[in-house]
Amino acid sequence: MSKRPNVKKGIGATGKYFERAEFDSIWPFQFMVSVIGLFLVLFEGSLGQWTLFYGATPLLTFIFVYYIALHFENLLPVVAAVLMGLLSDLLFSDIIGARALGYMFVIFVMQYRRQRLLQGDFLEIWTDFSIITVAVLLFQFAAFCAINFAVPSTTPILFQLGVTLIFFPIGYVLMFSITALLHRARVRT
Amino acid sequence: MRASDKAKIRQRRIANIVLIAISFSLMFLGKADITALRNARMGATDFVAPIVDLVSVPARAISTMVTGIRTVASLRAENVRLQAENDLLKRWRRRAEILESENRQLRSVTGAVAPERRMPLTARAVTAPGGSFAHTVLIANGTDSGVQSGNPVVTADGLVGLIVDAGRSYSRVLMISDINARIPVILASSSWPGVTIGQNGLFLELAFLPEEADPQVGELVLTSGHGGVLPAGVPVGRVDLVTDDFIRVEPAVDFRNLSYVSVLTGGLDGVDTNNLSLGDYYTPLPIDDKTRLLEGVNAAGERQ
Repeated sequence: MSKRPNVKKGIGATGKYFERAEFDSIWPFQFMVSVIGLFLVLFEGSLGQWTLFYGATPLLTFIFVYYIALHFENLLPVVAAVLMGLLSDLLFSDIIGARALGYMFVIFVMQYRRQRLLQGDFLEIWTDFSIITVAVLLFQFAAFCAINFAVPSTTPILFQLGVTLIFFPIGYVLMFSITALLHRARVRT
Repeated sequence: MRASDKAKIRQRRIANIVLIAISFSLMFLGKADITALRNARMGATDFVAPIVDLVSVPARAISTMVTGIRTVASLRAENVRLQAENDLLKRWRRRAEILESENRQLRSVTGAVAPERRMPLTARAVTAPGGSFAHTVLIANGTDSGVQSGNPVVTADGLVGLIVDAGRSYSRVLMISDINARIPVILASSSWPGVTIGQNGLFLELAFLPEEADPQVGELVLTSGHGGVLPAGVPVGRVDLVTDDFIRVEPAVDFRNLSYVSVLTGGLDGVDTNNLSLGDYYTPLPIDDKTRLLEGVNAAGERQ
């Protein structure tokens, strides 16, 4: 009596070695987006050397994470977002892990809001970004108070919030233009 | 949905939960100041800081350019101001020479021991405070150059902060404007002791002053040297605002234009630099009325 092939339950008779080959892998793009994000963290930190942004730089990486999570569902892995947050916290000595949680929060929230936001206009996106930024900063503020048993000055936090909200349209248009150009170049080739 | 897809989704969920748990744990472990975590942090900083330095070049260049344009625009007024300042400094220099000579003579009479020498070491600030929850800077000098935790960091204007983490090539400076920075100080003209507390902003709060103290706007605030971590007499700032329950100090150093600093190495013998809890050393009030301490004694040696 011939032996029945060892078929895993649910995978099918072909087995995992016969699954569809992924010729159009997303990994290189994920890697590129992660590297750009990490560089953006460093650039955001370097803005602190400008007198204007002393003590509160605009959250450029946050804008980047929001944009990618909104327009490219799978391009930014959660691990990359966590790494970006941790690098930022390590270098600039914020509460370690707070930014990582913030970036994760954005990615998770966008999973539920993406479809609705993409059908709306820019004002809706801007409002949504504002709400998420306020929520993340409030979380960081609460975490800081709980861990340090002290209330920090709110002026730099409000300044950071305001500057980030002002920079959002600029960053959004810039990233939209870059992605449109890249898309056009990809279609031509 | 295939079983393999379901398994992938389950794995992703577990990974997400693990990442959230790690991030949450790090928030508390970071505050716990565990040595292993601190070492890992400084190791990562040592690795990434050169890249940060490289990435900050354009930002620094633009900042320098803007400063240059501003300087050119106000060159004439600046020249007049500098000439006046130069005259004033010359007068102060003469005064300082006289006082130094007098001080030397008095020391020889009283047999007072000069404070232990500290060696200044110049370091470049690699980063500037960019987050609204912490005021620290990375400087390009570490344990290889003799920097160690607890070393004061100053500029020609006054105190910047102190080293809290020292890596091999880079160190982290906790600035006096950080909310976790508590600096034991005295009021220069009355010698009343107090503590400056950072606010994560541009100003400091002066707290724990005795009730009898009467700080005046513009009065100089100096480090008291209590605890032996910071040397005495380094300018911290000037009293900027006095209300019934709040005294504000404007730092002597303009932190917004911090490019080079001096680390005062050495002078930490007898101080446990792994546990820089100033509260263990600092006793702000005299033990009893008969005890004469530095606190409450004015420059003339009279008790206030």
